Amino acid sequence: MRDDPTVVALVNRAAGGDPAAWEQIVERYGPLVWSICARFQLSNHDREDVGQNVWLLLVEQLGKLRVPAALPGWLATTTQRECLRVVTTARRSERLGTGLDDALQFVDKTIIDEEILMAERNAALRAAFAELPPKCQRLLAMLTSDPPSSYAVISATLQIPVGSIGPQRARCLERLRKSSALAGFDDFSWTEGEHYA
Amino acid sequence: MPDGGDWDDEQLLAALGEAIRARQGVPEWFVETGKSAYAWHNIDGELAQLTFDSSRDEDTVAAVRSEAASIRALTFTSPRLSIELEVASDSLLGQIIPPRGGMIEVHTTAGVASSSVDEVGCFAITPIPTSPFRLRCRTEDGTDVLTGWITL
Repeated sequence: MRDDPTVVALVNRAAGGDPAAWEQIVERYGPLVWSICARFQLSNHDREDVGQNVWLLLVEQLGKLRVPAALPGWLATTTQRECLRVVTTARRSERLGTGLDDALQFVDKTIIDEEILMAERNAALRAAFAELPPKCQRLLAMLTSDPPSSYAVISATLQIPVGSIGPQRARCLERLRKSSALAGFDDFSWTEGEHYA
Repeated sequence: MPDGGDWDDEQLLAALGEAIRARQGVPEWFVETGKSAYAWHNIDGELAQLTFDSSRDEDTVAAVRSEAASIRALTFTSPRLSIELEVASDSLLGQIIPPRGGMIEVHTTAGVASSSVDEVGCFAITPIPTSPFRLRCRTEDGTDVLTGWITL
C-alpha cells in the first residue's frame, strides 16, 4: 500500500479544524463506503444509516488515527462492521435468526483488500483528472462514457476535427499519466487491477 | 512490475472511466450525509462507552426469557458516571448512576433537544429518535459526559 501524502495532509487538516479538507475526504472515499454497502445489498435507508455512522465515527477518530495514510483501510473495515450490524439487527427483528451466517457470506478479506486498492486508485485518477485543462476533461469524459461517444459525435459536440481527436486524446492521456496525483502508483500492477473489470 | 506510468492509453482510459463512474454511482445525499458529520468535530465531553446492550446479548439469554418481556436496555459507562437506558413503547427512559440531577441532551444531525434529569437521576426522552443520536449528560456537579452514537 502506498503512503499517500494527500491523504495524510487531508486527515491532518481536518483534524485541525479545516472543513474543506473534511469534504475532500468524503468526496474521495464516499464511493468506497458506498461500494461496501452495495456488497452487503443494503437498502438506501440502511446505507444512509451506515454512512452516517461511519463518518461520525471518523470525525471522532480524526487526530487519533495512528497512521493517517491507513485511512482507506480504516474506513473499509469500519463500514464492513457497520454493515454487519445493520444486517444482523434487521434479520433479528424479522425473526429470521441472527442473520450473522447470512451476512458473513459478504465478508471476505480478499474482497475488502481489493476494494481498498480500487478506492485509492480511483481517487487518484479522479484527482489527476480534475487537474487537467477543461478541454482535456471534456474530451476524456466523452471517450470514457458508457457507451463511448463516437468520434463523429465528439467532433460535433466539442467542435474539433475528427482527425485531431486521436492526437488530442494521446496528449490528454499523457498529461493524466504524468500527473503528480498518480505518482506513487508503482506498487501494484495493472493486471492486479483487472480483477475489478 | 509496471507502474502507473507504464499503462498504455487503452488501460489508462478504461481505468479513468471506471473511476469516474464509481463516483457518479454514489448519490449526492449519501455524500452530503458524510459531509455534515463534520459538525461533530471537537465536541467536548468525556466519552461514555456502550458497555451493555440487551439486543446484542439477547441470543445468549433468549432461551430462558419470554420474548414479550424483552425490552431493549443499554448501558453507557464513563469513569465518572453511567447512563442506563431502556427503550419503552414511545419514549426512552433513563437513569444516571450514581443518581443526581442535571440536564440530558439528545444530539442528532438535525439538532439538539434537551430535557431535565430529576434529583434521583431519572429522565425521559420523547419521542424516540429514529436517526442515529448521542446523549450528552451535564450534571449539577459539573460532570459532562457524551455517549457514542446510538442507532435503535
